[in-house]
Amino acid sequence: MYQSLLQATAGFYLLAAGAFILYLFSPRETLSRVGQGLLLAGFVGHAIKFAFLFHEAGFPALAQTAATQSFYGWLMVGVYLTVQFKYRLPILGCFVAPLAFLMSLRSIALGDAGLETPPALLTYWLPLHVTLALLGNAVFALAFAVSVVYLLLRRQLKNKRMTGLSQALPALETLDRLNKIFLVWGFPFMTLGILTGSVWAHAQWGTYWSWDPRQITSGLTWLLYGILLHGRLTAGWRGRKAALWTIAGFMIVLGYFLWGDVFFLSRHGGRFE
Amino acid sequence: MSEAGRQILVVGLNHTTAPVEVREQLAFSSNHLNGSLHDLVALPSVDEGVILSTCNRVEVVAVARDGGAGLAEIGDFLRNQPGVRIGPAEDHLYQHARKSAVRHVFRVASSLDSMVVGEPQILGQLKEYYSIAQEAGTVGSILHRLFHRSFSVAKRVRQGTGIASRPVSVGSVAVDLAKRIFDRLEEKTVMVIGSGVMGESLVRHLVENGVRGLMITNRTFEKAVELADRFEASPIRFEDYARYLKLADVVIGSVESEVALITRETAAEVLRERKQDNMFLIDLGVPRNFDPLINGLDNVYLYHIDDLTDVARENLKGRESEADKGELIVDQEVETFYRWFASLDQVPTIVALKQKLEQIRQGELRKSLESNLKDVSERERKAIEDLTAAMINKILHVPLTRLKERPDEDAAYHETVRVLFDLDKEPGPERDDS
Repeated sequence: MYQSLLQATAGFYLLAAGAFILYLFSPRETLSRVGQGLLLAGFVGHAIKFAFLFHEAGFPALAQTAATQSFYGWLMVGVYLTVQFKYRLPILGCFVAPLAFLMSLRSIALGDAGLETPPALLTYWLPLHVTLALLGNAVFALAFAVSVVYLLLRRQLKNKRMTGLSQALPALETLDRLNKIFLVWGFPFMTLGILTGSVWAHAQWGTYWSWDPRQITSGLTWLLYGILLHGRLTAGWRGRKAALWTIAGFMIVLGYFLWGDVFFLSRHGGRFE
Repeated sequence: MSEAGRQILVVGLNHTTAPVEVREQLAFSSNHLNGSLHDLVALPSVDEGVILSTCNRVEVVAVARDGGAGLAEIGDFLRNQPGVRIGPAEDHLYQHARKSAVRHVFRVASSLDSMVVGEPQILGQLKEYYSIAQEAGTVGSILHRLFHRSFSVAKRVRQGTGIASRPVSVGSVAVDLAKRIFDRLEEKTVMVIGSGVMGESLVRHLVENGVRGLMITNRTFEKAVELADRFEASPIRFEDYARYLKLADVVIGSVESEVALITRETAAEVLRERKQDNMFLIDLGVPRNFDPLINGLDNVYLYHIDDLTDVARENLKGRESEADKGELIVDQEVETFYRWFASLDQVPTIVALKQKLEQIRQGELRKSLESNLKDVSERERKAIEDLTAAMINKILHVPLTRLKERPDEDAAYHETVRVLFDLDKEPGPERDDS
């Protein structure tokens, strides 16, 4: 049941990604609307999956990689749909849809294994911590997307070669402003995610910080985004510089998400002693 | 190719067939348009008429009872307008009839026939002249349908092709670039250094697109004041322009100067003062007013007039290739429209269906009565006739009732019957002018 729901969701995300990629080549409103509709369908299917899982287990099962991967994709789509509602930025769908698909694919590949939550983690600290941390990262995914688009448009303007796509992009200033908005929203979530994690770790294992690989990478990202946010708010960092920092920060996030568990043994990836 | 029968006609001239001196002679003034429209439909063959008169074209679109006579009458009508001195010999007028006239109207509305393909004004002008004619009472059901159809064809072409998506004049390219850099032009300030036709045209484009803050400077301060008055801008002394640069989001340079007005160092300093707020520099000067190296700095975009012209030229090329797609849409729409127009002259479906079956009945009766039934008595013969007539009536009763319930406009029903019973077999008058 979960697997087929997840597969259907992944299918919707894949179709949405297809629509958005077509949109890149032929930026028509119809295509972006189709993409958004498919994303919404995937989002709802995904939500049903979580609801079933919650009902079945009596607890939000967010301990294992299989669950967090797809949960991250789901949050990303949710944040995108919210943002899209307010700012009308179809171009971001070109990033969110493939990423969401990738995340659900990972989740499918990992299978049902470990959908159960280890007894040690059966506390509401778990969903609180995971949701906050991943919500922060989901907002950063959008900051990443606007930064890439910013660099693309900037390059076209500097080289004085406009493509048809640039017609469909928001203004540079808008993209830069969105980068700031996403940072301002994402950073507190991420901070809270790390704080809840530490407090919980202290309650559980008696230590706030254990140099777990996940902690190291999120600490690093947190530091990077913190410096960037500070630079933006006080030192007038903006434009290309801000975009490059944002992209660098998100590369760490994404890198860990995709390969972290492969290379590191971590409390965040199945080793729950 | 017969010219007889009711036809849609176009007679007129445009930027490709007539020089501006001729177009000016023929232009209809809006004060007299009402009278001219009434003169037009007073012509013996003309039933409906619309006059379109813009700086690039003067055209009459009409429906005439007789195509050939209509073309001649409208041609004379145009040549005999007061002040017009074009004889038939040096004719700049083109004529379109039937499908070609429909196609012409659709192409004009879609801006495929414009000097700058895809320019948006023509559709608005067409709508305006159509509604003038409508108010004057010179539009009937055919032109009504033709013009409304042309408006939606224009919309289809506009949305379905990239014909109008990119700006093709230097001024609109500059505005387009400004819109890609800046969020809201309403909040931006423009500084113009020097004066010139090009500079003024750019300023006008920017102001039309919402720019409010405007600073103008000139080596001769009086000139700056004069120009500033015209645009409700603030004049600035030439010695001071550098101090005000940090307030300007867009800077237009158009002075003759051997030294650069803004060097890379100045630009870097100004950007620092602006906290890296984006700047858009437009250099209209020859030699250059702004150091080209400025474009290497972050958050500033420097375009020389040649760059703007290049972008405009590229875009125009793009539009022209998109125009081919527009022509395909127009072709399709012409066919659809013309099918409707041709159907107006058809015998109504109900009559045609009755005639058809009656024809069959008579034919079969004749065949049988001349061969294997040739010995029947007069009474029997009468009975056979009554029997077959009654059969036809019974068979037709329900279909005819159904058809009568549907207005002629509901083409699908009637179309089906016409196809099933082959009601359009007899060739009507040839309509296509190809």
